[in-house]
Amino acid sequence: MERRDFLKISALGGATAALEGCGNPDHQLIRFVPEEDLVPGLATWKPSICTLCPAGCGLIVRVMQGEAEVVRHGQLGLLKMGLAKKLEGNPAHPINQGKLCPRGQGGLQVTYHPDRIKNPLQRTGPRGSGQFQEITWDEALKQLVSQLSPLQANKSGQLAFVTSPLHGLRKNIVGNFTASFKNAQVVEFALFDGGVIRAANSASFGVNAPPTVNLSQSNYVISFGADFLGTWNSPVAQSIGYGQMRQGRPGQRGKFVQVEPRISQTGATADEWIPAQPGTEGIFALSLAHVILREKLRPATAAGHAGSLIEGWSQGLPDYAPEKIETQIGVPAATIARIAREVAGHEPAVALIGDAATAQTNGLFNALAVNALNALLGSVGKPGGIQFGPAWTPQVAKSASSESEKSVAHSVQKLAEQIHSAPDAVKVLLVYNANPVFATPATWQVREAFEKVPFIASFGSFVDETSALADLILPDSSPLESWLDDAPISGSAKTVASLAPPAMNPLHNTRSMPDVLLDVAHQLGGDPAKALPWKTYDEALKAAFAALYKEQGTRSAKDADEFWTKAQDQGGWWSAEEKGIVPSGGKAGGAPAKSAAPEFDGAPGEFSFHFLPFASQLFYDGSLAHLPWMQEAPDPLSTVMWGTWVEINTQTAAKLGIQQGDLLEVASQHGKLQAPALVTPGIAPDVVAMPVGQGHENFTRYASSRGANPISILASMTVGNTSSLAWAATRVKVSPVGRGTMVLFGGSMSEAPPELRHR
Amino acid sequence: MLAALLERALPAESPDTAPQSSAEVSSVFTPAHRTVLEAVREFFSKRPEPVQPIAYTHKVHLANGLQCPFCHVGVDQGPDARIPSVNFCMTCHQAIATDKPEIKKLAAYMARGEDVPWQRVYGFVPSAHVKFNHAPHIRAGVDCVKCHGDMTQRTVAIRTVDHTMGFCVGCHREKNASVDCVTCHY
Repeated sequence: MERRDFLKISALGGATAALEGCGNPDHQLIRFVPEEDLVPGLATWKPSICTLCPAGCGLIVRVMQGEAEVVRHGQLGLLKMGLAKKLEGNPAHPINQGKLCPRGQGGLQVTYHPDRIKNPLQRTGPRGSGQFQEITWDEALKQLVSQLSPLQANKSGQLAFVTSPLHGLRKNIVGNFTASFKNAQVVEFALFDGGVIRAANSASFGVNAPPTVNLSQSNYVISFGADFLGTWNSPVAQSIGYGQMRQGRPGQRGKFVQVEPRISQTGATADEWIPAQPGTEGIFALSLAHVILREKLRPATAAGHAGSLIEGWSQGLPDYAPEKIETQIGVPAATIARIAREVAGHEPAVALIGDAATAQTNGLFNALAVNALNALLGSVGKPGGIQFGPAWTPQVAKSASSESEKSVAHSVQKLAEQIHSAPDAVKVLLVYNANPVFATPATWQVREAFEKVPFIASFGSFVDETSALADLILPDSSPLESWLDDAPISGSAKTVASLAPPAMNPLHNTRSMPDVLLDVAHQLGGDPAKALPWKTYDEALKAAFAALYKEQGTRSAKDADEFWTKAQDQGGWWSAEEKGIVPSGGKAGGAPAKSAAPEFDGAPGEFSFHFLPFASQLFYDGSLAHLPWMQEAPDPLSTVMWGTWVEINTQTAAKLGIQQGDLLEVASQHGKLQAPALVTPGIAPDVVAMPVGQGHENFTRYASSRGANPISILASMTVGNTSSLAWAATRVKVSPVGRGTMVLFGGSMSEAPPELRHR
Repeated sequence: MLAALLERALPAESPDTAPQSSAEVSSVFTPAHRTVLEAVREFFSKRPEPVQPIAYTHKVHLANGLQCPFCHVGVDQGPDARIPSVNFCMTCHQAIATDKPEIKKLAAYMARGEDVPWQRVYGFVPSAHVKFNHAPHIRAGVDCVKCHGDMTQRTVAIRTVDHTMGFCVGCHREKNASVDCVTCHY
């Protein structure tokens, strides 16, 4: 016996063992023949695209050989295959330049989620019960075709396609497919859709797009509610620029002022936090403009068309003198005047607006006011200010999508109204990548409307509140298993056409949504088949990239094939130079925007708090609540994990006798919910705030029945002159109802509920 | 003798009776080991001797002039060498020696769409924290025989060389390679 073994034996107190073979095989599962021969232990990095938010960051995926437990031919076994192991930002990509946010990192779990739908499903139980049985793709497609073919003949538009806002070629495919049915409608739905900012930019600058904000050259940033480092617009691109602005230029550090009633993750990094009253952001911006004009720091004409949209601009905005509006917005006149002088004195300066400031009933006015301020400061179309990148529009076949745009119902709210008023309005509903049943106020009655639709097919990868209503689920392959393309509309002043082949083979019996649509179109024949002449999605993409090559790629490759191959290698194609669109000035005519006071649902006496839902840094709009990494990561500000909370001001809480962790009932005129209190000084005394994302009834084992959904109790208010939900325009009352449970990363484990404690 | 005694005292467990589901947490010994036996076995760095599903013979293949990297692709490129898949074997055995019983077994795997469930022979237990990489050893001209024994005389592979730390360090010293802890343990 070796000395070493002897010591080990002594350590065990005399017990020992020399355990020779029991022939115990590592696994009892059979192994399937590998589909690809990879060198074990060697990693390759493949390009991909992040699809978890609209920013469209470029990814690189670390792929290595591994063994996956999969089902093939109805049998469970092990398969050696290339597996995605880690996601990082693509260093060559102009949007995120090698960086990636925590949500993007978590994208890996979409592919390996244990509750992914692995086969096509047919509903067996009542709608919403989540009872399905697995069927084959042949059966599933046959069912869909049999439902769609009667609609081909009639022209009453009984097909509706509800999808998340699409970019790139998927938009064409869905548009062409839907447009081949007469009067059918595509309804793009997202809670944070940016529609108000697009409408404002269209009016002010003639560009129907969110701005590209390159802060790296800015010297002064004033942001009205925009969480531009966390969730707003293109957060990774903006964070890179912000880092440059603050620390990348020796001896020169740009100042940053955040105007919002609750400190967001972005607001927490600001030099100055100004909690203006909700909905007064536009008035604040015009007050700054007033001071700048009054003190002749800029001429009124500098604002051009954007200024002319504001009533009283040429007279120097007399109604917005700081002294007149200080009580309305809750900010001292002296502060307003000081900020105005600072903004005007630090060129290039930029004003941003987003999130809650545009989700008030007067959100459009607020955005127009900030646009006018930017124009006055001379920061439109310039680095350090706001720019508009020329977005790539894939050109393939005749774009029937322009036709479909005409018939867009514009909002899920209108679609629901249509169905409620005429039960025959929609006979077949297709749903892709959107969960309107979860992310709309209960008063819109989207669930009730969808329940009336005779046939719903979902392309969901998970059973969520919307796909639980579906009669048929055609599971989409995960983004890492699919051909991807994207045309980001903001984040870079370059033209960007992202492209990525699948990083790995599908784990389960899933198919990519565009491939399914192409297949269905061929089976239907007629107009759909004509509108979608390709057999597979990559064939369509190749055609789109051939068109792009003809348009602008001649210097980067010798022919279209090389262009296509190179684009796959580097994750897409982007223009060499930054060619921002020169703002042309919007449509002339139309009455100038009058100052509009925000309207709120609920009388201030009874409902004494403004209710402010906010985009979660981890769950975004709730679509990522099913990823355990996102659930277990502490929120950056509150450090809450695995739950939701209501933020309430320290002094207000003391007045109401509320302590940290008390369970609060938050009630609007339209519903109520319960969540534990998080007492914080970083919120105005008459505001309570809640993160969006939790409170799913039905969204995998990790998100179901966890926390509360603030969207459900919102009033059905829309932003004036748009169809966007005014999600910050509800007032609520708050009352303590007992003791709640809230797990803080910063707290002790003894506060954690027993099921979360380590054994 | 001690070994034999203990083998009787602690019989090898059957994998079927081992708890598989994480729901049965109470019957798991520690998060790293399902049973006491598994923990003890790892403590002594003892691994069960593999039983291969096919009586593959290295001797015949090497005698026919094949070199190690022909099947064990990637040994000179990265950390691991590939164990060939049934596809790879069948490129030759579709035509060669098709009447031999073991080749019939191989063909049967292929026909069922299954890979051959070869058992791992060498390797380090996770708690040793050894990161072994084949490629630099091949580059340094270390012969395969040095660590894997003379395979020209073997049928299925068995552990003929004990990969103890002493074995590794001895050779590293001999060749003036680094014996820094973090060269292998990280």
